[in-house]
Amino acid sequence: MSEQNKTTKDKSVQEKLSELSELVVWFQSPAFKLEAAFDKFKQAELLAEEIEKDLTKLKNDIKVVKKKFDTEE
Amino acid sequence: MENNPLQLTVSEFVALTNQTLEYAYPTVTVIGEVTEFRVSQGKWVSFKLKDAGAVVGCFLVLSQLRMQIEDGMKLMVVANPRLNNKGFFSLNVRAMKPVGEGSIKKGFELLKAKLEAEGLFAPERKRRLPRVPQHVALVTSTESAAYADFCKIINERWGGLSVEVAHTQVQGVPAPDQMIRAIRYFNSLEVLPEVLVIVRGGGSAEDLMAFNDEPLARAIAESRIPTLVGVGHEVDNSLADMVADVRAATPTNAAEILVPDRNEIIRSAHQQAKSLSYQLIQAIDEYSARTKEQLNAAFRRIQEKLDEHFERLATLRLATAQLNPENILRRGYAFLRGEVKVGETVEIETINSIAKAEVKDVRAK
Repeated sequence: MSEQNKTTKDKSVQEKLSELSELVVWFQSPAFKLEAAFDKFKQAELLAEEIEKDLTKLKNDIKVVKKKFDTEE
Repeated sequence: MENNPLQLTVSEFVALTNQTLEYAYPTVTVIGEVTEFRVSQGKWVSFKLKDAGAVVGCFLVLSQLRMQIEDGMKLMVVANPRLNNKGFFSLNVRAMKPVGEGSIKKGFELLKAKLEAEGLFAPERKRRLPRVPQHVALVTSTESAAYADFCKIINERWGGLSVEVAHTQVQGVPAPDQMIRAIRYFNSLEVLPEVLVIVRGGGSAEDLMAFNDEPLARAIAESRIPTLVGVGHEVDNSLADMVADVRAATPTNAAEILVPDRNEIIRSAHQQAKSLSYQLIQAIDEYSARTKEQLNAAFRRIQEKLDEHFERLATLRLATAQLNPENILRRGYAFLRGEVKVGETVEIETINSIAKAEVKDVRAK
């Protein structure tokens, strides 16, 4: 799936955080347009909700490698 | 002479002595004070260990020297006793470590100075760790409290992390080599982890000595993967800490440095979204104010135009009023209607009356 075609649900937390930061930057940039701002604000609210959901449910995967290090192979 | 049946050549005697030593004392551990330390031809290290009553020579190759030593330091050496072909007895050193606080400190300071002179602690060598890594390598003893603490903290703070753990000893003579092998293993992976973490809990200076091992310090410095080292307590400083890209005060602190706190990230995400709502409201307010100002300006312009037209109208009204025929009648003039011919009847209108009159005489002026 290309980056552009990803829906919000397909994105990683990191991508969502970056997207939220980009929205914040847009609001402070000369590109800001009131006509587009409301949609972008709704988008930011949705991202914040999803970041919370993702971070709450994600678990770490901790594995001990099988290789032994007590002798030189 | 006749009582001793064993007659040997010198070479046989040396060989027999070495066989006997290998059988009786294959490895000995000897503690003593270093004297006459020297490095020959950049390859061989020799020194003597002494105490109040005796002296013994020690020998090893330079590449086996894992610490810096100098005369006066107290050392414990693990060695094979040997008698060489020139008749000199020596200990072939396999491992050594400083003994006593003063010697441990001295060894640490000497090696620190050496590595510092090579620039291994230079700030410009330090690499930044990724803000949120996804793949992490961990070198530690999985039986230690430090490992349990580290896992507890990363699980509390973050999720979605893949951690590969290399279980090694973290104290004692084998520990540095095991950690070096683990570091090399992770650095040889096809997909490199984003951070290499080494942790160990607190302990005595002797417990933590493995982290002042020169080859280990060099392996950490040479790691292609950025390193994060948290050894001992906040007050403990090791060479492994100093060469690492990032030093953590404790294993718990290493976990805190490694991953952000998910609760803080969640708070921050909501805060960012909320700040956009303030900006949106502010933008709407500014837009309304600007629109209102533009409307006011338009109304002012219309009002000015209207005023101009009303003024002009008033002037015209005045002019028109002055042309009103009634005003002429008021000044005493009269209108005459009809044909001015003798015998015709004409109508004369004044301001107050209308009269009819017969024309009796007409003369040219």
